[in-house]
Amino acid sequence: MATLTLPPAVGAVLRNFYTCEFTTVNRQGQPMTWPSVPYLDAAEGHIVCAVSIAFPVKAFNARRHPQVSLLYSDPTGSGLDHPPAVLVQGDAAVAEVLDYTPDIIGLFKTVSKRQPDSRRFTNNRVVRNLFLWYLFQRISLTVTPRRILVWPEGDFAAMPQVIELAHVG
Amino acid sequence: MWDRRLAERARSYPTGVLSWVEPSGDPVSVRVAVELDEPRERVLFPALPPIARGRTGLACLLFHMHDEQLEGLRQVVLKGELVADGASIALEVTGFVTANGRAGTDEMPHAGAPLHMLAFYRLGRRKAKEYLAKRGEPWPPIPFEEIGRAVAEAPD
Repeated sequence: MATLTLPPAVGAVLRNFYTCEFTTVNRQGQPMTWPSVPYLDAAEGHIVCAVSIAFPVKAFNARRHPQVSLLYSDPTGSGLDHPPAVLVQGDAAVAEVLDYTPDIIGLFKTVSKRQPDSRRFTNNRVVRNLFLWYLFQRISLTVTPRRILVWPEGDFAAMPQVIELAHVG
Repeated sequence: MWDRRLAERARSYPTGVLSWVEPSGDPVSVRVAVELDEPRERVLFPALPPIARGRTGLACLLFHMHDEQLEGLRQVVLKGELVADGASIALEVTGFVTANGRAGTDEMPHAGAPLHMLAFYRLGRRKAKEYLAKRGEPWPPIPFEEIGRAVAEAPD
């Protein structure tokens, strides 16, 4: 898989924003957008998110309609000053999390760092077993970006800059 | 269907994320300021981003927030259709969706609210059982120690 080469400001957003707004399209053609914690695996050229098996609709949508998007528009907690807003459009591959590959471990680590309170759940054997269906029985959505739209300083009043990733890197 | 309690919660957000689907099949999202028009069950956009102008068809509007510890999570989605509304467009709302196991609130469950957490636990466990029943075989054992070690050793 190709390395993802991004403008520095865009790379910073994809690495540091706590959440993105992840959109899938359901059977009726209705977009559904929910916040999600993304992990950028730049070396492998993709972004990974995951959902609980208890709430798999996002994964089912993406399996049926792989075209998805991730908007990075809320910089809370990122530490970035006047970051751009970034929309990633790409194709999602969906799989149950049964192997603990570096990108899945990276996602777990990202959640643990950004949400320190979550460690109370993962480190406590009793709570961990009660919430197995939420913490560990998960389905991954691995997104290979095709196009990136950038609004400098998050200014949606302007038209975005468009980066076609087929021409990058 | 309009939900007055969730509409009131939606009003507390400074902006929302509007999404639609391009003819190519690619979803697009932008952050927008909104005005809720309750009598007409529509959401108006006083300063629609240029990329969204003239868009019509199925759409949704997400409101969400979190703090700097990724706590205080709130989220609600308004489903609907973008329709012409005078010189602009509006979201004609067909439904409100939360993902928290309770009606009437956008607050996500938290250990600090045990009753809410219990409702979420019961919902999640029931849904997970349904998934596993369709899957047809149990989920394999999870190597917690191995995962813990790998997470600790993974680069920041």
